[in-house]
Amino acid sequence: MSDVVLNRRRFLVSSGLFAGGMALSLSPLAAVPGGVAAQPAKVPGEGDELDPWIVIRPDNRVIVRVPCPEIGNGAATQTAMNVAEELQCAWEQVEVEFCDFTREWRQPGTYAVGLQPFFGGHSTDHERMPYTMQLGASARERLKAAAAARWQVAASEVEARGGELRHGDKRLSFGEVAAEAAAIALAQEPALKSPGDWWLIGKATPHKLHLPQVVTGSAVYGIDVKLPGMVHAALKQSPVHGGRVKHFDSAAVMDMPGVRAVVEIDPRKSVGSPVETQSTFGLEDSQLRSGVAVIADHYWQAKNALDALPIEWDDRLGAFWKSNEQIYAKQEEILQRWQGKAITRKGDIYSVEPAQTVEATYRTPYCEHVAMEPLNGTALVSDGRLEVWHSSQDMQQAFWVAVDESGFMPENVRVHQTQVGGGFGRRTMGDDLRVVVAVARQYPGVPVKVIWSREETTRQGLYRTLLGASYRAGLDRKGMPESLEAETCFSGLQLNLGFVDNIYASNGEIENVRLAVSKFPLHIGTGAYRAPCYNSHVFTVETFIDECAAAAGIDAYDYRHKLLGSWDKSWRKCLQVAAEKAGWGEPLPRGQGLGIAISNWPAAGEKNAGTTVCAVARVEVSPAGEVRVRQIDMSFDSGRVANRDAVSAQLEGGIVFAMNMTLNEELTIRDGAIVEGNYHEYPVLRMADMPQINIHFDALSGHERFAIIGEAPVGPVGPAIGNAIFQATGKRLRSMPFRKHDLSWG
Amino acid sequence: MKTISLTINGKAHSLEIDPATPLLWALRDHLGMTGTKFGCGIAQCGACTVHLDGVAMRSCSVPVEYAEGKQLTTIEGLSESGDHRLQQLWVEMNVPQCGYCQAGMLMAAADLLQRNPTPSGEEVDAAMTNICRCGTYPRIRAAILRAAGDPQAVVRYAGGEA
Repeated sequence: MSDVVLNRRRFLVSSGLFAGGMALSLSPLAAVPGGVAAQPAKVPGEGDELDPWIVIRPDNRVIVRVPCPEIGNGAATQTAMNVAEELQCAWEQVEVEFCDFTREWRQPGTYAVGLQPFFGGHSTDHERMPYTMQLGASARERLKAAAAARWQVAASEVEARGGELRHGDKRLSFGEVAAEAAAIALAQEPALKSPGDWWLIGKATPHKLHLPQVVTGSAVYGIDVKLPGMVHAALKQSPVHGGRVKHFDSAAVMDMPGVRAVVEIDPRKSVGSPVETQSTFGLEDSQLRSGVAVIADHYWQAKNALDALPIEWDDRLGAFWKSNEQIYAKQEEILQRWQGKAITRKGDIYSVEPAQTVEATYRTPYCEHVAMEPLNGTALVSDGRLEVWHSSQDMQQAFWVAVDESGFMPENVRVHQTQVGGGFGRRTMGDDLRVVVAVARQYPGVPVKVIWSREETTRQGLYRTLLGASYRAGLDRKGMPESLEAETCFSGLQLNLGFVDNIYASNGEIENVRLAVSKFPLHIGTGAYRAPCYNSHVFTVETFIDECAAAAGIDAYDYRHKLLGSWDKSWRKCLQVAAEKAGWGEPLPRGQGLGIAISNWPAAGEKNAGTTVCAVARVEVSPAGEVRVRQIDMSFDSGRVANRDAVSAQLEGGIVFAMNMTLNEELTIRDGAIVEGNYHEYPVLRMADMPQINIHFDALSGHERFAIIGEAPVGPVGPAIGNAIFQATGKRLRSMPFRKHDLSWG
Repeated sequence: MKTISLTINGKAHSLEIDPATPLLWALRDHLGMTGTKFGCGIAQCGACTVHLDGVAMRSCSVPVEYAEGKQLTTIEGLSESGDHRLQQLWVEMNVPQCGYCQAGMLMAAADLLQRNPTPSGEEVDAAMTNICRCGTYPRIRAAILRAAGDPQAVVRYAGGEA
């Protein structure tokens, strides 16, 4: 048996490498004159499928099966747009379904293409976009061939448009010949259209495909799954991450209404995958946190019983950390040593004899995603099979976590992807799904829906990394930096994007640079939080540059403009558009300020790459210190945009997310545990807090890339607000959240 | 346990249920009406907003017995076929992102327009206290103002043809 498994695994490895290699060799879209080079045929479809991604029903509905969840950024819709562009169907025909990852195991290369399933965003990624367009082109040519066979004409004479095949006055719908087309193999893959011939991408701005279901309440999120015989579980996990259940008294609640069982969530009992897993991010961050779940007929009964259940915890090492103050003091101590590991070294920072030195230390705290849909999942374990319904942000990761926790062979595991009530990085690792399986395994035969309360969702997070950073710059006589030294200290997930490649260190304008990193590991779980770590780095970099400008007595806009130098001119264009539109330089009433900041995700250090974003914030601070963000102007360059309205929506949402992160968010650690539980303790901006948001498309360079857009805006908004507050009050904010600072003046 | 009679979206229902069960969970778990969402459980976020005798309420904090004898409207019953003016505008203006909070937003907005058919922007701000983590507030606001008859109400983005 194990030989068979191994052999199968070897086959997968080699074909997986082939698929990856193939994807990597694709040219960026439109890099080839007149379109994109044709690619080899894909994994064949089964039955009436044209392709594992494309099914056309006899009634002419086009079903696009996607491996990317819909977390609200429109990734599933954009993927369908890419297919439809080449397929030449009408947009009204198109529906999206989430693919079945078990099939990827059965038929390797079906859905895990390049980084395809990654996150659920990135559908315009330069690897994925041509891949999905090729699927559409291939299907179109096979439909034409099927129609040509019926009409006894040459396929090249058949035209496909609007979901219809035409020759002279003859007409057939795609659906009428789809079954025949499914049996046709092309001798050669068609080349993709030239972007100039596109009718959908960059032309139309369709809304997300799931909206009609959303507005009628019929969209099914993970928490909405309904199955025959389903029971409900409420759970509590160790308040101190890494702690364990010491004791619980099931007898105390077993007689309560509806209660069926009390089960322990025990990390030592995870079974482990029988085959080598192919999870997107590895399985380390999906490991179980010890806890207890009460299973009852209804959720409310389970929750009441859980609240009445006596549980004793062994807090273990985490309880050493009594307070935020203790943690922050330790972080500062580490930074003050300047002993971090250098990751960038250029010139010699020690050789500089500056006219002036600017120094500052910054901090951003742990933050929770507080996505609106609390963590949840439903699982049915029966007869050696596992079925899961889940609002995951990464279907490939979810599938392999399910395999790993159940210990079942992958072919016996099925994960159904649902709509996702907010991701922001929280639903990436599959730690929630693992708990669901661990609970359901102990109550087999019926589906078990597990729901974390809001308080548990908040306290069992994988948070924004706690991060501190110290900066030191030597300014010359004109006030411009000759040297830049910085160290960032990470407590948790470490990503250097936005720090190591910050534009001032990487564009050559500062000659002596040393950037270093240090680590301060704690027991608290961290993970991706919209634009991981970048959302902190941009705050530290862009506040520090502002401090340098202020020390030099130079306007913050002029200072940046000068420092951007001759680098990729779209940066300067972004700066200029945002500043002009926001009225930079105009006199402001007392108590108001304008602040600016610029950044790029995820490729600041490269030209014509990633999305460059510039934010200008207009704030008003009352003499009592109350902050009101009145207006945000944002310019950006992502190269091109595939759907203007969708891009604007992501920028708008990113601005609001960044505002909340900046003004409001901080988790409190007390005796190792998270204090905040619900929205009254962890405030979130509401409609009345909204500034006027203006999104400006004028800085788009038209470069051939369609860079990702959801993360980039989360960088510059915070520092722009902080820099504006400095303009308004003279008070420099070096830590988030701003609401905890005294900003009174006058 | 008690027998509770409810009138939901014009239809009569009878439930054997603990009368203290929050209306939200009666709808979701006992009646399978999952359009009304659980977000916080303490009447903070508004994802669970329904209309009770025509008034918006946060159903997570109302015991099911309180709804007895009252007319209850949920998102499933906001319109016959999903064509309430707000629902149409929500789709047309691409308002929702993840969409999870939007049933509650729509119910709160419909309640506002019922009480005040032509609210000012400030009145919209004051009435709409639900939470959206995706940050769709500017679009919600514009859609409500559009429904209230302001054809100029749009989310502002402009420039660039690339």
